[in-house]
Amino acid sequence: MHISRKILSNILNVVLCTLSLSHFSCRHDEVVYPTIGTHVTDEVREGGLYVLCEGNMGSNKARLDYINLHSGEYYANWYGSQNPRQLKELGDVGNDIQAYGGRLYAVINCSHKVEVMDRKARHIGQVDIPNCRYLAFKGDKMYVSAYVGSVATPELLGSVFEVDTATLEITREVKVGHQPDELCIVDDKLYVVNSGGYITNRHDSTLSVIDLPSFTETEKITVGPNPQRVRVDNSGKLWVCTDSYLSILDFIHEKKQLTLHASNISINGSTAYVIDKEQHKLRAFSTIDFEELDQPIDISSYENPYGLLATNDVIYITDAKNYVSSGVLHCYGYDGKEHWRAQTGDIPGHLCRVSGAYELHPDTTKQDTAKAFSPYITRVYEYLPAMGQFVNVLPKYEEGDDAEAMCRKCEQAIANNAGGMICLGGWGGYVTFGFDHAVENKEGYDLRILGNAFLMSGNEAYGSSEPGIVMVSRDDNKNGLPDDKWYELKGSMYDDPTTQHHVSKTYTRESDTIRNAFHKQPYYPQWIEAESITFTGARLAPLTEKISEQSVQRILDFGYVDNKPNTDKEGTSFDISWAVDADGKSISLPCIDFVRIYTAVDEAYDATGELSTEVTGAIDLHIE
Amino acid sequence: MTKRIFFILIIALCAHSVFADSEAEVDSLYSRFQIEEVEVTARALSKDVIVPQTLKGAELQRLNALSVADALRYFSGVQLKDYGGVGGIKTINVRSMGSQHTAVYYNGVQLGNAQNGQVDLGRFSLDNMEEIQLFNGQKSDIFQSAREFGSAGNVYLTTRKPYFKPDEKVHVRGQMRFGSFALANPNIGVDVKLTEALSLTLDAEYVYSDGKYPFRYRRVLPTGETAYDTTAIRQNGDVNAVRAEVGLHHYYRTTGFWRVHAYNYYSERGVPGAIVNNVWRNGERLWDRNSFVQAQWQDEWFGRWSTRLLAKYANDYTHYKNYDERLLPSNNEYTQQEVYLSLANKVQVFNWWDLSLAYDYQYNSLNRLNLLLDDGPEFFLRHSHWLSAATAFNIKEYLRMQASVLMTAVDRNTPRVTPGVFFSFRPYPAIDLSINAFYKQSYRYPTFNDLYYTDLGNASLRPELARQHSVELAYRVSHKWLTANISASYYYNRVTDKIIAYPKGQQFRWTMLNLGTVKINGVDAKADMSLFLPLRFVLRGRLNYTYQTAIDVTNPNDTYYGHQIPYIPWHSGSVVVGLDWQSKRGDHYGLNYSFIYVGERYSQQENIIYNHVQPWYTHDLSIYGEWGIKRWWLKANLEINNLLGQDYEVIQNYPMPKQNVRCTLAVRY
Repeated sequence: MHISRKILSNILNVVLCTLSLSHFSCRHDEVVYPTIGTHVTDEVREGGLYVLCEGNMGSNKARLDYINLHSGEYYANWYGSQNPRQLKELGDVGNDIQAYGGRLYAVINCSHKVEVMDRKARHIGQVDIPNCRYLAFKGDKMYVSAYVGSVATPELLGSVFEVDTATLEITREVKVGHQPDELCIVDDKLYVVNSGGYITNRHDSTLSVIDLPSFTETEKITVGPNPQRVRVDNSGKLWVCTDSYLSILDFIHEKKQLTLHASNISINGSTAYVIDKEQHKLRAFSTIDFEELDQPIDISSYENPYGLLATNDVIYITDAKNYVSSGVLHCYGYDGKEHWRAQTGDIPGHLCRVSGAYELHPDTTKQDTAKAFSPYITRVYEYLPAMGQFVNVLPKYEEGDDAEAMCRKCEQAIANNAGGMICLGGWGGYVTFGFDHAVENKEGYDLRILGNAFLMSGNEAYGSSEPGIVMVSRDDNKNGLPDDKWYELKGSMYDDPTTQHHVSKTYTRESDTIRNAFHKQPYYPQWIEAESITFTGARLAPLTEKISEQSVQRILDFGYVDNKPNTDKEGTSFDISWAVDADGKSISLPCIDFVRIYTAVDEAYDATGELSTEVTGAIDLHIE
Repeated sequence: MTKRIFFILIIALCAHSVFADSEAEVDSLYSRFQIEEVEVTARALSKDVIVPQTLKGAELQRLNALSVADALRYFSGVQLKDYGGVGGIKTINVRSMGSQHTAVYYNGVQLGNAQNGQVDLGRFSLDNMEEIQLFNGQKSDIFQSAREFGSAGNVYLTTRKPYFKPDEKVHVRGQMRFGSFALANPNIGVDVKLTEALSLTLDAEYVYSDGKYPFRYRRVLPTGETAYDTTAIRQNGDVNAVRAEVGLHHYYRTTGFWRVHAYNYYSERGVPGAIVNNVWRNGERLWDRNSFVQAQWQDEWFGRWSTRLLAKYANDYTHYKNYDERLLPSNNEYTQQEVYLSLANKVQVFNWWDLSLAYDYQYNSLNRLNLLLDDGPEFFLRHSHWLSAATAFNIKEYLRMQASVLMTAVDRNTPRVTPGVFFSFRPYPAIDLSINAFYKQSYRYPTFNDLYYTDLGNASLRPELARQHSVELAYRVSHKWLTANISASYYYNRVTDKIIAYPKGQQFRWTMLNLGTVKINGVDAKADMSLFLPLRFVLRGRLNYTYQTAIDVTNPNDTYYGHQIPYIPWHSGSVVVGLDWQSKRGDHYGLNYSFIYVGERYSQQENIIYNHVQPWYTHDLSIYGEWGIKRWWLKANLEINNLLGQDYEVIQNYPMPKQNVRCTLAVRY
């Protein structure tokens, strides 16, 4: 039956297609939607930018585009190239996209899901949340606003869901107001705007305050009709966009209202950029005194200004045109000059800048199409050694070097598997580095950090150990810089009574006089202009003992850099699950972006000088 | 006896009618034929300045078609929007001007939907239908109501009329149809001759389908390797509908008649919705009741003056409720009322010159109630007036002309005047070859939804103006063993201030868009023929082909400037081939094959790969037999639709059924 049908079908098709004219064509296999690359700019910048195009309801045309800011290549339907086998593509109506903890999260409103992807937009999983709208993150949790809750209420209240980013399971739910839209988190409070936009003339006008530990709504603050957006600025004030006002709230709910209908807002540094819907203008306000600032970008020619993202270097604005045809993404410098523009999908609404810069694999049918991540560290952000005999030597300081130059020298030494070595000096001295991606917290060890420790022959409980404590951090504010909260990886000595936590020590240039015979150079880091440097952290008790006439250190069990030899794979490996906060409370991080290592001991001897942690590289154990 | 029937049939066919729908019903056929003959002859030779496309009687019944919408796919220049399944909305678009430029008339009176201007033709059953005609421009007869001059395309649906032999008083029909997706469709009809001049018809029908049809989505990688391939069952596509109609016809003298027709339709259906990522089921439900009573009276005086009076009252109720917990609830009721009055007069000044004057008035109201709020109903109303003057004259056999002018006044808007001019030129009266041409303007007024729909409505919308230019070459062959009609037309239409309706999520809702200006160029070619073969075989064929470009020329700065507008294919067409055989005792057997092709098109304004929609084409096959046993008549029909099981979509994300079967058994007395 099947074969005969096929034969019949072929015969009929041949006959009919022979009869047919030029583009009177037959039906072919539906090929997956292509990914089309267009070169839009010669400008070279770091990383990339994801553009989530909403698509019209029912059209299933949510489209995730990507521009490699390094090569200037714009890829329409990037998601399709990464996930060609995804049944019915990305989905219906994209509503939000955010990068967090090395992953991308996209809300697909009418597909009732949050799509979870890696940084290259490869599908990892999804969280089914009905009528989901926007995202916020804190710790290992994702918070999702949704127009409907798991149980319908007669008042049509929406919900905020809490999702564990490790398991992608919904952990908690709290009912809020009508049609909750954007949400943001300040400390232990989550703020979500209740737009009530679904029923005309019944707009809600409140902001719900949710206490995160108890996950209950504690308060509703009236902010103005139909609030749709809420953002937090760098001083923790909330900026709420409503149909009539831009309301600014600080923690004691003192409110300042600017009378304008801001359809979108993006805050960078101390400036809030808003699209003024009535005046069809981009306006800028100071987040300090709320005064309007001059800004030269002209969007008056836009049909429908829509998406907005202000970054440190440039500002991105989209024109959604008539909503049912391709939009345009514009990139401007803060001087008002347009750098480039690119044609997007339908309704380019949501922008997300990421640090990776990926190119399309020439064969888009391959699942892994983007350039692979490096398993080695690629970047050193900070290098601040405490005074020591190898400071200004490893790496070498040269006249005129600044902190940035020293970081580059550290990169040359230890990044990308270079095999060199840097020295952190005495107690407290540190280095901060990162990878070209986030290191995921998986089962077991996550990363290795290499040093120059060795064991004593004949007694392997001792050797040359100059332990360094490992701190980790995640790029919570997504600025690509290690200015976020740090967590210590708890090593074997953490709970030892001899270990002192939260101690400080100040080194001064003045005290830099005692030098040993071998190392005559200044011990104080010469690129530091300040006359003193203060370090804070944990300090281990002295480890040096005399064994068989040798000055050696007791090898610690686990959890310290430059403690066990590099040949000991396990002894040089670390698990992100060891992370604890300042109070020693265990913290579950799904991934980390930055690693900091500081010398953990404060011991110096005449002959051998101070104990100082040496670092020779680090490896993400999850990358092949 | 048998011989006579066959002879009659041949004549009937030669007279450009396809056979009357009850060819085996010996006695009534006779009386019927006589009526048909007059009508047909008259039309073929003199009246048609505008030649309609017609499907009627048995040809209509032979098509693999359940509803009027299915049948209209066989007309050229027509694009059907079909959301799939028995319950899916089906609307038509004639010559790319948009579905709201097409008026649908039910027994001579327009079916209205002031709310969205769309008539769901999937709801009109073919079982009760005698004839479907499509006129481009307007109906060929100037004796019509004023409003009939106001649309760009006109579909006339004519229900079955009763025919009685002198000694007959009652006819009864019963029919049962079964099919795939749990289709059950019983139909019953009764015709009663109350007096010699007065007759009563009743027709009732029930349709049920669970709408659970399998559909498949498959895509491949550029290498040909399967990317995904999934088959699912359509959910929430069930429909339950009841239709009941009663008509009273009174013919008096030879010139006058009046008739009253009452119609009631009630349905409950699921709105299956778009299939998108992660959504395989939707929960919206729709309840509809459409009721109307219409009356028509017509008479003629002094042999030269004709008057027609039409009156209609319609009351439509729609209840839309969303049970999908993932969406915000909605629960809305819409009640529409329509009162329509029309007076038309025609005077035959000379044998070659007619004049007509008509005035129509219509009242529409819409009551919208959101049951989730206690706001009370919102109420919208509209008064419309139409005044038309038309003239028709003939110059001997060579030239026929019609000209009409219509004034439309809707509420307090400035009245607008639209003209129409029609020519038919026959260079050689001995040969049935004619050149027909017309120019016509028509407005389509914004609907209540366009104007007032919550959030989407736009009270400042202007009416859309369509200007049509059309030239047609028609040729007709009539031979002892062959009849054939061949025609080709070229048309150029320009639609300005166009309002486009997009399906958005739920079928029931639309986004109103002022698309601007559309330029349409098209060619329609159509042919039908009947070949009378030996041994009582008749071979019939019907061919339609349309090529059209309908391009957006609103603004050269738009990315879609010069692009084909959504859902208009460049190529479309159909082929129908049927073979009938009549036994010596008058039984009929037939085989019918049809092929429909709709070419590639785009789902949105921009003709880019992401909006591309593949062509679709279906092969349908049917086989039937009819048997006359004394005064009984039996019919059995088996249809296989989408024979090769093509997985296709007419509207993106609304999958259509794969192969499906219908079986009909009918008995008549």
